[in-house]
Amino acid sequence: MIRLGLRLTLQSGGDSARRVIVTAAAVALGVGLLLAALAGVNALHMQTERGAWLNTSPETRASGKISRDPLWWQLSIDQFGSQAIDRVDVAATGPSSPVPPGLPRLPAAGQYFASPALERLLASLPPNQLADRYPGREVGIIGSAGLTSPNSLIVVVGDAPTQLSQQPGAFKVRGIQRTLSNCYACQSGVGSGPVLQWILAVGAVALLLPVLILIATASRLSAARREERFAAMRLVGAMPRQISVISAVEAAVAAIAGVALGFVLFFLFRPLLYNVPFTGAPFAPGDLSLSWTDALVVVIGVPIAAIVSARIALRRVQVSPLGVSRRVSSPPPRIFRIIPLLTGIGVLAYFDAKGKPGANGAQLLELLVCFVLISIGLVLAGPWFTTAGSRLMARRANRPAALIAGRRLLDNPRAAFRFVSGLVLALFVTSAIIGALSSILALTNSNGGSAGRDTVADLFCSYSHTGCPASTKVASVTGRVLSELRSTPGVRSVTMIHQDLSSNPFGGVVTCNQLARTPAIGRCAPGASTARVEWILQPPLGNHSTSTSTIWPGASLSVASVARLPVDAVVVATDGSAGAIERARTSLERAFPTQGEAVVVEAQDPATSRFLAMIQDMADVVIVASLVIAACSLAVSVAAGLGERKRPFSVLRLTGVPTSVLQKVVTLESAIPLLLIAAVAIVVGLVSAALFLRSQAGIAFHMPGPGYWVTVAAGLAASLAVIASTFPLLNKVTGPDAARNE
Amino acid sequence: MDRPDLGTADRARKGGGLMMISTDTSRASMCEALIEAHGLRLSFGETPALRGASVSVRPGELVAVMGPSGSGKSTLLHCLAGILVPDAGEVRFEGRRIDTLREASRSRLRRDRFGFVFQFGQLVPELTAVENVALPLLLRGMHRERALREAQGWFERLEIDGMESHRTGEMSGGQSQRVALARALVTNPAVLFADEPTGSLDSLNGERVMGLLTQMAREQGSTVILVTHEPRVAAYADREVIVRDGRVSTSLQAVPT
Repeated sequence: MIRLGLRLTLQSGGDSARRVIVTAAAVALGVGLLLAALAGVNALHMQTERGAWLNTSPETRASGKISRDPLWWQLSIDQFGSQAIDRVDVAATGPSSPVPPGLPRLPAAGQYFASPALERLLASLPPNQLADRYPGREVGIIGSAGLTSPNSLIVVVGDAPTQLSQQPGAFKVRGIQRTLSNCYACQSGVGSGPVLQWILAVGAVALLLPVLILIATASRLSAARREERFAAMRLVGAMPRQISVISAVEAAVAAIAGVALGFVLFFLFRPLLYNVPFTGAPFAPGDLSLSWTDALVVVIGVPIAAIVSARIALRRVQVSPLGVSRRVSSPPPRIFRIIPLLTGIGVLAYFDAKGKPGANGAQLLELLVCFVLISIGLVLAGPWFTTAGSRLMARRANRPAALIAGRRLLDNPRAAFRFVSGLVLALFVTSAIIGALSSILALTNSNGGSAGRDTVADLFCSYSHTGCPASTKVASVTGRVLSELRSTPGVRSVTMIHQDLSSNPFGGVVTCNQLARTPAIGRCAPGASTARVEWILQPPLGNHSTSTSTIWPGASLSVASVARLPVDAVVVATDGSAGAIERARTSLERAFPTQGEAVVVEAQDPATSRFLAMIQDMADVVIVASLVIAACSLAVSVAAGLGERKRPFSVLRLTGVPTSVLQKVVTLESAIPLLLIAAVAIVVGLVSAALFLRSQAGIAFHMPGPGYWVTVAAGLAASLAVIASTFPLLNKVTGPDAARNE
Repeated sequence: MDRPDLGTADRARKGGGLMMISTDTSRASMCEALIEAHGLRLSFGETPALRGASVSVRPGELVAVMGPSGSGKSTLLHCLAGILVPDAGEVRFEGRRIDTLREASRSRLRRDRFGFVFQFGQLVPELTAVENVALPLLLRGMHRERALREAQGWFERLEIDGMESHRTGEMSGGQSQRVALARALVTNPAVLFADEPTGSLDSLNGERVMGLLTQMAREQGSTVILVTHEPRVAAYADREVIVRDGRVSTSLQAVPT
């Protein structure tokens, strides 16, 4: 029977061969996309693995090899414009001190290694904007083994052990972290290991689901024509089981050909994939690779999935000797399908109204339960939404295209939804994430106004009061440093916050004369000469000043006595130009190298900024890719549907119906479920984000910015273009020949 | 059931005869012709389908195009209807050449002035019977409610009232064909083209459909060009045109006996 199946598939003339070729081509498209998604996930993993060394900590044990000579290590994240620069200060204590990947040796005191992208940046800028932050001279570049991405900005600065050991946050390490597994430092921090891996997993699932649906759809492309032949075989005595075997053989042949072609497509277009901004950071050559396991899973899994899919499709119809009859159409989806979705949203709304559950564990559970309920609810409710939308369209239709499309969708809303079901979760998850990010970003940007964006603050170690060695306290800022800062082009004024030794361990004191020149961090009460300030920056996910309108209470200290106190922070107001901000930052870094990083008052901290940008880029890729892949599934289903309606459509054309009307039918049939489900998923995603943020963090929801809507619109436009690609087929199969009596 | 007066065609069916009048149809009342073709030639690849066919049809006439399988009768009908464009020769409708028109203009002509009935598979499966009949009116921009109301009126006339909300799979072949006939006539076409309209029906249903087709066409004053290979169906026609090997070989006029 297998041999007969092979002969029927491969040697039944042009029509059969065409069917196999078309199905194989559609499967190849799906396989190509599947391989691209797998390679993308692998590439992201390789990127994060290569960056693991930056998470080196005292607990790091590198591959069991423990160095006799420890290495002093201090990681800080500097910033240039909106770009983060990873700065690692190192000091060897002996010849066998561990060397980070990508470096031929450790830099000696007064030397540094820069990444190629940073080296280019250094060369393109005046030294007082960037290069002066790094003491000494550049002695080489960091090799690709130590770079997350070709455009990573990293510098490894050599220090003397005696000097580095006195710096806050410096520690000794005996090995370099080489992988994300067993990474102690990766366990915390918003942009590190487990969180990132979890996000990558969600991104991968969001991309893989639509691709798998595309492959399943493609493997059933010619089902209707195949079933007619099966009916003829049943007439001459073939058993249902034999038909089933032949069907499996046909599906497998097309799938195997499709898998082979899919690999060719993947390797052919792989160079272009390097330009896809999955995380904003381009991949390094060789990142987009496939493991043997990936290849084997695809090579074996896709044909098996195609066989299973074909068998399921065959079980939905009754192939009798007298022809093919569809199973009795099931009743329309009932309204109870939306109950899980409403319940999920309802629980979030309940916590919004009543307050969040107390414990952190309960919050996590609430989040998990709600999002699982909503995800399942969206998939369950999809056919109901499709039915509701189609019914509305069919009832209101005054034009034939809308009427025909609405009726067809109503005929089988479950099938119509199936083709776009992969899209639902992708859009829901990405919309929720983007909605949350937009709200958080709006919060960090809402307080200070432009003054905050023009002002740079260097908060010294003592201001944070966290394990700050006595040696790092800044007794006073020298006149030379002050005059250098004030004479920096673009700098308008300098304010010093002094340590408040008397009462408040979490604040400082400032003279009102100076405070008035840096309005970004508040002002004094009228008549006061000195003021007591609290935290001037709130850094939950970024920096933002408590408020420009804050009026700090007066301090019972004279101006002279305040000036004698140790300095806690230096705040520099600039003219707001990029050059002035970077020059101020560089001057502060050079003047106070052992203190914290100089940051713009109203800006995200660079690590968070980089992480959020990565999530944003990944969400954008998932949105566009899932929309386009869903459209591919729809296009394949349109192509299959045209086979079934070839004759009535061609008769309509003969009777003078313009092809544009038929094109509208096809477009509406595909676009309505796509747009409807996309709208539902986006709305539910944004509403969930709003409710969650408000109930859990008291953060007001902000709609995503134009970038998100442009991405969604671009994805939808690309999807409609994919659907329109079926028009030539429509024109061809409904030509006069198709309507001539056979 | 009482049969309506079928005029000439009915008389022919009930015993009227056909008289050979000419083998050259190009001479048949060219000045009065509603639709006429002259010297049509058309090949599908290497296979010639028409080899210089000429025919002329007067307003209100019911012409049956007959001939053996593969003789080119359907191809001739498709050329007359502006569906196919001949390789050589010309087709005129109301004195205007239509074979030289662009596809869009021919489509408009077919939509606005012609009606079509084919052997099977003409109804849009997603639509109900009444929506199928209303389809040409909707295509002309008529409001849905009015189009459905007008379509509704045809169901009683074609003896299929009660089938309005049925879909293709829920109707018999004869019922489907009557719905298709209603759809063809609902726009009051100048010419109704019918290609084997009873080909998939039993004799009783075939006669019913033909009876209704001729009656409605005459009531509306539509010209009918009918392709068939069944003499019993051709007997409804005023005139028979015989096609052999891509040429119109004979034209027979029905005469009452």
